[in-house]
Amino acid sequence: MSDVNMAGVPAAGEALRNVLRRYALHLSLLAMIVVSTLVSPSFLSGGNVSNMLLQAAPLGMVVIGQVFVILVRGLDLSVASIMATAAVVATSFSGQDKDAALIFALALGIGLATGLVNGLLVAKRNVSPFLATLATMIVLQGMRSAWTQGAPSGNVPPFFRILGSGSIYGVPYNLIITAVLALVFWVILSKSTFGRKIYITGGNPVTARLLGINADRVTIICYVISGGLAALAGLILSGFVGIVDNWVGRGFEIDSIVAAVMGGVALSGGRGTIGGGLIGAAILVVVFNAVLQLGLPIQLQIIIKGVVIVVAAAFYVRRKAG
Amino acid sequence: MTILRPSARRGFLRRNGSQTIVVALLVILMVVGSLVSSRFSTLANFMNILEQSVTLAIVSLGQTLAVLTGGIDLSVGSLISLASVLLSGITNGDPGMVVPAIAIVLGLGILVGLLNAAAVIWLKVHPLIVTLGTGAALQGVTLLYTMGPAGKMPLGFDFWAFGRVLGLPVGAIITVVLFAGTALFLRYTPLGRYIYAVGDDSTGAQLMGLPRAKVLLFVYGFSGFTAALTAVFLVSRFGVGQPYTGANFTLTSITPVVVGGTLLAGGRGGVIGTLLGVYLVSLLNNVLNYMDISSHYQLIVQGLIVIIAVSVYVEKKRKL
Repeated sequence: MSDVNMAGVPAAGEALRNVLRRYALHLSLLAMIVVSTLVSPSFLSGGNVSNMLLQAAPLGMVVIGQVFVILVRGLDLSVASIMATAAVVATSFSGQDKDAALIFALALGIGLATGLVNGLLVAKRNVSPFLATLATMIVLQGMRSAWTQGAPSGNVPPFFRILGSGSIYGVPYNLIITAVLALVFWVILSKSTFGRKIYITGGNPVTARLLGINADRVTIICYVISGGLAALAGLILSGFVGIVDNWVGRGFEIDSIVAAVMGGVALSGGRGTIGGGLIGAAILVVVFNAVLQLGLPIQLQIIIKGVVIVVAAAFYVRRKAG
Repeated sequence: MTILRPSARRGFLRRNGSQTIVVALLVILMVVGSLVSSRFSTLANFMNILEQSVTLAIVSLGQTLAVLTGGIDLSVGSLISLASVLLSGITNGDPGMVVPAIAIVLGLGILVGLLNAAAVIWLKVHPLIVTLGTGAALQGVTLLYTMGPAGKMPLGFDFWAFGRVLGLPVGAIITVVLFAGTALFLRYTPLGRYIYAVGDDSTGAQLMGLPRAKVLLFVYGFSGFTAALTAVFLVSRFGVGQPYTGANFTLTSITPVVVGGTLLAGGRGGVIGTLLGVYLVSLLNNVLNYMDISSHYQLIVQGLIVIIAVSVYVEKKRKL
């Protein structure tokens, strides 16, 4: 109500500040793109843009799941491990397209099952999400390297190669998939009753229970969604990379959390959107790419990531307080 | 008397439940170990286990204090890496530079910890996010400094990792002294008690006028210090600092803390549990090695232990 003055008309300065505040995220993405283009003209070249989009797609997929989990006051550290496991599954068969359906079912099954374990531990045993997903991460890692004896090998079926790195009219397939998934999950989150239940559960689990919402079930489903999306992202990324090692997707757990936090998804739960998380992912990809385009030392990527996450989190704390 | 006795026993178990479980597991592991191999229950092997557990123990000590306040320190791994390469880089084989270099990295560790605490206190950002951020930044700085092993340590510096005093590993003696000192500090000093108070109920502690800022500055400063000290022992063992040498410690330092019964939500637990947790993890790896079980399966076992530990100790309230 502070944006309304005595006469009930928003003051111009106040209105501008509100616009800036509401669209801070979009504006900073725009500013970053403009600055990168000015400094390095090749930034907006067709090749570089489609390269960025190819990279953004798997991250975006993982971020969608991470948003669901963070909304219910959680955190999913197991996503990278799920991705690598899916990639190992993808190359564990003949490497022909006839196995694609089997690979798809198996990888998705592992992702969903891991999410279910995470969700059960968090909801039913009251384990802190950090530890629950950390533990499943380690177990998956162990199972993966036991299965491959530490040295995964084999080929990614052509079908996944196309999904991961092909494009139609310059638009990467993996981006189309991510966009479709984002749309589906946006509808679930913003337009469905279940979406409302997620926000209420994350905002205040006690209220949720008093309203007759099965908070445990809502929480578990969010972890299952995250696990499933991570498995899909792993398959797509393995198609992008083309070869397999034990660490496909390494760093995605941190990057997806960073993207969500930058996108305004509150770690305290109940606040945030898929759109915000995806813009956060876009900012991350643009920043990384700009570091490369500018010929700066690659180590700066990590330093910038570290600084950005703290600054972004502090920004949202301030905004909430103000 | 017959009524009092069981209830007294329950009281003891309630107070020391987690420690009792860990000690029981230690005993079981020792029995299993000596059944598996005749070389297991030898003095040399136990000294070996003590020697190998030093680095994990010291980094977990600082982590325990951070967790007791309801926080977490995810920057320790990168800090260990940075301190390692700086220590051997600055020393570069010159015996005269060893002490200054150690002083520099220990000071750096404390400084990084104070920065973490400052961000938690004044930016009001969750410790998880703050230390994740500083951890990433520190790893970047480490890689800017060097992409490979840096410098070297003078001959004789490996005494800290492999030396023996009265037949006991030097590092293990230092470890036990540090843990005992910290346990006494937590129990008998006001600042030690405040750590529990802040972890139990941060707002309540502040309303009571407890110095939350001072507690957090101390705790994260201490965690930075122990991480840097871990680096000293690591460099002593390897003879040189490497830019990824600490990477695994970030998450492995949390395992002994939770296995030892300290709640991630804060306010409950202690460092003795953590030390027992460290020995449990080390002993387990040792026994699995004697059983010829590959390191792949050891990972699975480690993950399962975390799952079992955290689902046995019921968290009083859910936090990040």
